[in-house]
Amino acid sequence: MIAFEHVGKRYGGRFEALAGLDFHVRRGEMVFLTGHSGAGKSSLLRLIMRLERPSRGRVMVAGHDIDRLHDSQVPFYRRQIGVVFQDHQLLLDRSVFANVALPLEIQGVEPREAARRVRAALEKVGLLHREKALPIELSSGEQQRIGIARAVVNKPALLLADEPTGNLDPQLSADIMRLFEDFNRIGTTVMVASHDLALIARLRHRVLRLRDGRLIADEHAHEVAS
Amino acid sequence: MSDRQTSATSQGATRRRGARSQRTGLDSRARAWARHHRAMARDSAGRLVRHPLASLLTMLAIGIALVLPCGLWLTLDSARLLDAQLEESATLTVYMTPSMAEREAMALAETLRAHPDVGSARLVTAAEGMAEFQQVLGLDDALARLDDNPLPASVVITPLNTAPEAVRDLAGQLGSVDGVDEVRLDLAWLERLRRIAELGQRLTLALGVLFGLGVLLIVGNTIRLAVESRRKEIEVVTLIGATHAFVRRPFLYSGAWYGLGGGLLAWALLSLGGQWLAAPVQALAQSYGAHFSMPGLGLDGSAILLVSSTLLGWLGGWMAVSRHLAEIRPR
Repeated sequence: MIAFEHVGKRYGGRFEALAGLDFHVRRGEMVFLTGHSGAGKSSLLRLIMRLERPSRGRVMVAGHDIDRLHDSQVPFYRRQIGVVFQDHQLLLDRSVFANVALPLEIQGVEPREAARRVRAALEKVGLLHREKALPIELSSGEQQRIGIARAVVNKPALLLADEPTGNLDPQLSADIMRLFEDFNRIGTTVMVASHDLALIARLRHRVLRLRDGRLIADEHAHEVAS
Repeated sequence: MSDRQTSATSQGATRRRGARSQRTGLDSRARAWARHHRAMARDSAGRLVRHPLASLLTMLAIGIALVLPCGLWLTLDSARLLDAQLEESATLTVYMTPSMAEREAMALAETLRAHPDVGSARLVTAAEGMAEFQQVLGLDDALARLDDNPLPASVVITPLNTAPEAVRDLAGQLGSVDGVDEVRLDLAWLERLRRIAELGQRLTLALGVLFGLGVLLIVGNTIRLAVESRRKEIEVVTLIGATHAFVRRPFLYSGAWYGLGGGLLAWALLSLGGQWLAAPVQALAQSYGAHFSMPGLGLDGSAILLVSSTLLGWLGGWMAVSRHLAEIRPR
């Protein structure tokens, strides 16, 4: 699903955010991405979302070299990826329902069908009863779950999350990770960047460890455990 | 076709979904597109209504910018009507040699009347000329003291063809007739008027272009602020796959609404101004013996005003949002 081939990324010609990255994530896999802040986790995710382009090497997603996508194709590429942000990036002047419906609105899904899918996504994250609320009326854990509902509402094949539990207490963090596991179980490829090492260790999935922009470990915890 | 199918299969789930939505076809995509247009037209109108004072001020600024060139154009239009009337009244005055006897003068008037380009000719004898002169100037006493009548007999001629060149041509021909002292044609001021009208036309064009640019700037600035205030929203929708067209659309509608509102205000201002000026203009025209009423914009003019102001607003929005879309990159 995702293949990095000798990928390097420099900013401003000097600072090397990523160097010599080589890895492959299979379809339907769940992968954690760890490392201290500044290790390159966000840069790596931004490369996959094509918010950045690699300075060296190739980033392949679903068999495509995404660097070769034309600018006009990028929006359509991004629609196939669900993204969860640390600061959840919800629109504060719109209801929970409208926030979750946003990707479907962008894709021009017929309103009745969109409403059905939005409710299904909200139900999945356990917040169907808050659909009329404004994001500001929700707790940060709930806001993050709305962010997840929005990321999965159009059933993306790939789900990316950048520190989705960054601001949450351990119990809420575990709940959020369980949600990701649920989506992974129904076939979604999931990649979660997180520095919550204790939580990651308990979850027993593959872990990609970054340090100073280099991949220092690729542990298949899941395979070892089972 | 089979090529696309194979690649679609090999690329798995994401591509398959793409293929499925392609099958639902152009029809549903066109409907989604139309739906979004309707929604954005409503949404952007709603945003304007929610800030009525700010919206009204912007529209008023646009309206005033449009009133100036439109008003000048209307004035010129009426001047053209007046010009046409005046042209018809172009006449030549043929003065005969001063010492000519009345009988000879009448004979000469007949000769002139027979000229093929002459429409009508009215003889003003020396005595009649004197009487007219006295009446107009009210100088009875002074003139009565003169021993001789110093005025020559004259013939006022209305040419058949009133085009300036033809009139000048006729004047030349009549000037060479025996017994004719001088031919006066009062075309100079008519030509001056025409030059002023031409100058006015260019001025209108220049003003139209300038104030059109002004409208673009007004709308552009307003939309720039709107884009800035919705920067976060633009970033988010770009992150989740909105096209530029999708992001641009609400701002284009805002621009168009501003333009339409400004056009309507300009129209109202022009109508009010026209009514306010109608009475004095008519009085002025009557004092010159012309029949003339202020022309309004009319149906065509109104339609042109509204359509072009809406287009200007749309264009202003497009320029502002395109310039800023390039700057806004999701973080």
